[in-house]
Amino acid sequence: MIQFKDVGLVYPNGTVGLKNVNLTINDGEFVVIVGLSGAGKSTLIRSINRLVTPTSGELYVDNEDILKYRGKDLRKLRTKTGMIFQNYNLVKRSSVLKNVLAGRLGHTGTLRSIFNAYKKEDVALAYESLKRVNIADKIYNRADELSGGQQQRVSIARVLTQQPKYILADEPVASLDPPTSHQVMKYLKKINKEDNLTTIVNLHFIDMAMEYADRIVGMRAGEIVFDGPVSEVTEKTFEEIYGRSIREEDFRGGSEES
Amino acid sequence: MENFELPPKPKNSVWKRIRNIGIAIVVIAIYVWTFVSIDIEWGRAMERAANNFQRVIPQLFSPDWSATGKVALSMLETVFIAFAGSLMAAIIAVPLAFLAARNMMGGVVVSTIGKWILSAVRAFPDVILAILFVVAVGPNAFAGVLAIAIGSTGMLGKMFSEIIEGIDMNVIEAMQASGANRIQILFYGVMPQIIPEFLSYAIYRFEVDVRASSILGIVGAGGIGTLIIFASNNRNWSEMGMILLAIIIVVTVIDFASARIRRKIV
Repeated sequence: MIQFKDVGLVYPNGTVGLKNVNLTINDGEFVVIVGLSGAGKSTLIRSINRLVTPTSGELYVDNEDILKYRGKDLRKLRTKTGMIFQNYNLVKRSSVLKNVLAGRLGHTGTLRSIFNAYKKEDVALAYESLKRVNIADKIYNRADELSGGQQQRVSIARVLTQQPKYILADEPVASLDPPTSHQVMKYLKKINKEDNLTTIVNLHFIDMAMEYADRIVGMRAGEIVFDGPVSEVTEKTFEEIYGRSIREEDFRGGSEES
Repeated sequence: MENFELPPKPKNSVWKRIRNIGIAIVVIAIYVWTFVSIDIEWGRAMERAANNFQRVIPQLFSPDWSATGKVALSMLETVFIAFAGSLMAAIIAVPLAFLAARNMMGGVVVSTIGKWILSAVRAFPDVILAILFVVAVGPNAFAGVLAIAIGSTGMLGKMFSEIIEGIDMNVIEAMQASGANRIQILFYGVMPQIIPEFLSYAIYRFEVDVRASSILGIVGAGGIGTLIIFASNNRNWSEMGMILLAIIIVVTVIDFASARIRRKIV
């Protein structure tokens, strides 16, 4: 369970990232955070694994306040929270397998990882993860030989190999075309259901949020302005969240088959 | 072909034109001034050049094949000096580069100190270093190796640090986000991104060092330069021709090989 209690974040340059955020995310939920760019979605998600550090309030992950974590505690927290990025963030020159095994680094001793001596079960896990996102045939390819959608699937496999408790996805489909976007979201949803992994996804496309979310959290100017199950959400809700009327670019469109 | 007209070029303003003419006058004045003040006796210089050309040039083009063994051996020594020197430099440059790269050790202070060290090292010309090391360790190839090593460290360190600063930090962030520690990030996130470029620059530097180490013998630091200075003192132009031939061949071959290897790596 993740609990934000009155969390605020002001960047050193004075920009307000988060303001009075109160939010509880229960285990197994698939939460989509929506909002325009600059609304604080990224800051919110990155607070959970402490890529950024809130400046006020309390933030609990599994009932422990993580804001004071440093060094070893912090790395331990991060092994529990797998992250998926907009630009995949794979090591382009390394093979797919090596990239996926990198998800295991937090669980592997330093010496073992330097000499590339992963445990057999870790390699098996990496291969299994690649199979789950249907990309096992590219295992020895270099990451930069893959298309965007394929790279994002590899990054999902990397997160699976990490065996986290939470998945944080920061605009995972913003660099992809509509069919590939749906494919990636379907994999995330499937993993959420099969492994009961709590998943938090940042999106700015209305139709994708509606299609895949269990619960939608709306943000504007660092504050949470909406929080409710997807059944309560209409286009009106989005107009309120975005603070303007809905436009065509707010929709991703398409489907996996098209 | 279709008839078309480009939009008219924007006209330079009068002030701009005056400025350009001003710059031209200043540049020409500097040229005139330098040529006048270095005080060359053109007549004598020409006459001497013409006389010597007749004597020297034909001999340069009829290399003394009997010296092949001697020349080849000392060319080999030159290549070895360059290789040992650039290898040493490539190793010393790595920690300095990490020190100087802004995105590694954290802190502008550390990186600035690192950059200062590298600039200081770079400030010495190879030949000056060679003279210093000849005094320090005696007139032999080891002095040449040290001169090349120190001379190349500055440049390689700067290049390496720029490569490190150019890596994709998002990858590093992804690894931090998965709970990897600093050493693991170094091996999995940083090294794959930098090693090919590091190798490429080290090989390129070796190529430069082969040329540089041909000269070092002139100040007594070993290699083919020693033969050059002997041949020139003895007015032995046909042996000089042989030496030049050897240098040209070796440098060309290494240039070619290095270009091909580097294309493969990156």
